[in-house]
Amino acid sequence: MEAVVVDAGSKLLKAGFASPDQDPALIMPTKMNRVLEDDDGGDSSMVVEEVTVDPVVRGFIRDWDAMEDLLRHVLYTDLGWEVGDEGQILFAEPLFTPKAIREQLVQLMFETFNVSGFYASEQAVLSLYAVGRISGCTVDIGHGKIDIAPVCEGAVQHIASKRFQIGGIELTNLLAQQLQKSNPLVKIDISEVERLKEQYARCAEDQGSFEERLNTCQIETHTLPDGQTITIGRESYIVGEALFQPYILGLEEYGIVEQLVRSISSVSSENLRQLLENTMLCGGTTSMTGFEERFQKEANLCSSSIRPSLIKPPEYMPENLSRNSAWMGGAILAKVVFPQNQHITKGDYDETGPAIVHKKCF
Amino acid sequence: MYGGDEVSAIVLDLGSYTCKAGYAGEDAPKAVFPSVVGSIDQVGANDEVKSEKDSDPMFDSKSTDKTKTRKLYVGTQALGYRRDHMEVISPLKDGVVVDWDIVDNIWNHAFRERLLIDPKEHPMLLAEPSSNAPHQREKAAELMFESYKVPALFVAKNAVLTSFASGRATSLVVDSGGGSTTVAAVHDGYVLQKAVLTSPIGGEFLTDCMMKSLESKGIVLKPRYSFKKKEIRPGEFQTIELDFPNTTESYRLYSQRAIASDIKESVCRVPDTAFEENAYANVPMTPYELPDGQTIEIGADRFKIPDVLFNPSLVQTIPGMESLAGYASISGLPQMVIESINKCDVDIRRELFSSILLAGGTASMLQLKERLEKDLMEEAPQAARVKVLASGNSTERRFSVWIGGSILASLGSFQQMWFSKAEYEEHGVSYIQRKCP
Repeated sequence: MEAVVVDAGSKLLKAGFASPDQDPALIMPTKMNRVLEDDDGGDSSMVVEEVTVDPVVRGFIRDWDAMEDLLRHVLYTDLGWEVGDEGQILFAEPLFTPKAIREQLVQLMFETFNVSGFYASEQAVLSLYAVGRISGCTVDIGHGKIDIAPVCEGAVQHIASKRFQIGGIELTNLLAQQLQKSNPLVKIDISEVERLKEQYARCAEDQGSFEERLNTCQIETHTLPDGQTITIGRESYIVGEALFQPYILGLEEYGIVEQLVRSISSVSSENLRQLLENTMLCGGTTSMTGFEERFQKEANLCSSSIRPSLIKPPEYMPENLSRNSAWMGGAILAKVVFPQNQHITKGDYDETGPAIVHKKCF
Repeated sequence: MYGGDEVSAIVLDLGSYTCKAGYAGEDAPKAVFPSVVGSIDQVGANDEVKSEKDSDPMFDSKSTDKTKTRKLYVGTQALGYRRDHMEVISPLKDGVVVDWDIVDNIWNHAFRERLLIDPKEHPMLLAEPSSNAPHQREKAAELMFESYKVPALFVAKNAVLTSFASGRATSLVVDSGGGSTTVAAVHDGYVLQKAVLTSPIGGEFLTDCMMKSLESKGIVLKPRYSFKKKEIRPGEFQTIELDFPNTTESYRLYSQRAIASDIKESVCRVPDTAFEENAYANVPMTPYELPDGQTIEIGADRFKIPDVLFNPSLVQTIPGMESLAGYASISGLPQMVIESINKCDVDIRRELFSSILLAGGTASMLQLKERLEKDLMEEAPQAARVKVLASGNSTERRFSVWIGGSILASLGSFQQMWFSKAEYEEHGVSYIQRKCP
């Protein structure tokens, strides 16, 4: 049986059996509804409360019970594992995952799910494997966090990596704010704003044309599912610009390309050219219309002698590579690690305990 | 007695230039960031510190002065962004901590924003300068136990940790870092205090020399924030100067030093023999591209600047640095080594000569090891066999103190040597002198 690859993001969970060159079989939201049944107090009718639970916050697993339920559903119900015959599993982790979280994950896997083999790897390395490289830079713009990581020969250079606690969710909130200002009578639900963002947000070609669009751009009307109509025009460009000019989000930071160039500059100069010229954009937010072109344009204007340039993904890879690159890289890695017995087996875990994850998986 | 084995210890090395932090047992620190901070003074008691914008900067609102509060910005990200009136200040002066408030903020940034851990759950190994005064370690221990509530602590000297990193118990450690160069003799894991020598010539000083030298040749280093590139025609770019009148002098210098430091690290090489103006007058120039697109050529300076380590009186020949005439009387690196060894007992001198370790960022300069070995062989007594050791990897040299700490804290036999919280509460902070030699 093939190994299962799981990439649990802050918004979407990607899972499936390891089959390289294909999309993950399962892409589902990680947001869950916890149904609280309140039947004490002698009331004959059960009061059912639904509370939204996010097991993964900013890339890291925070709510372990919810995560367990989610994984149980994914592994047993959706992917078809049988109790007693669990297979091997590979997890994709974000940058700077605290040691305690890794250990807890290994413990959950071996003790609750009784998997036969486990491996974990960082998302940056996996994304590069998906495009067939072992060295390069990744800019991973996800829902809850942004990771910038240079990778040299399969090893992430932590010293030059950066993690930001902003992501797609901040852009959604920004859009909600902006829409509220221009459509004050309409109340829009945040999940609807999320859909609007994915449909309408776009990046202007450069800073100059952004300023123009603010004043003159076509207004589109959109009909919400509940029948109300809203107008959306310059808001879509503002959202796209936020990553390049973070003052829009209220942050005192430089734009994303400048951040990339500055953090990479702490790597020794021989590798610098090779890293910057193999830059990869991954994560859901990078699939915004016009993002890649804008990124390339900004790269020419950045304050560095070596210009970052983006990798072209191989033709045999499916369309949505940037969204699922960590999962696909995991599928490629799973085909290498598990047959060669480089993973953690149940025997290893029983002998050493959860701390084995730091020794075997890096 | 703290018998922690499951929970990883954290190794923290606050140097004069960068702060290194990470988990014990790993081969490189996870968090490396400058040990200077940006500070904006806010006058007036009614000043609100706006917190909704701050996702990254670490701010402190404890009053250092009764009338002012200051906001501190720690870490490469926060420091890298230019802000009006932001001064760059260092907690250290001449290698000694003078501002514990800043150190507190630096540690906080390392734990909560870079390593993402809770200090309550991890024992800490702190690296300290080889000539650290007892009251400094007590203050550090107090800060750790009271503010961060760490379960256990150990303080070790830099030279000892470097020695462990190379697997030796006896060696002479030459630690050439950002702020200073220290030569210390380690014997059986203990630093011989009488043989510790420091010199203020370190990486930062060499960077300043480079900057002054370039300025005297008319090359202006434009800090990264002061220009913007614009595409006027496809493929052609023009640099536009941006003016920020409220930028402080210290920030401008800090940004320029960052560029000069990169130039120094990429082009400088230690000359094989002592530097002489005439000999190097016709050396071929190496090009270097500055961030704003300007290309500069560097010739004799490539060799002159590193030679300042060996011959500090060269400083007087660099235009702009004549005011530092006091530096002329400082001994060069080989002299410091000989002096330090001569202060030790005669019996161990032979062993010290044959195991001289190089550590620190500046020690990764090209050809330093070979030149030092050559100079020492000339000056050392005939019978001594001089051997200078340095790990080949420049990352290892830069972080050898941290790596030594990582090795020490993960040893099984070390676990009983921790100074635990219980012992601190029972015996008080001065007990640390006995527990950490």
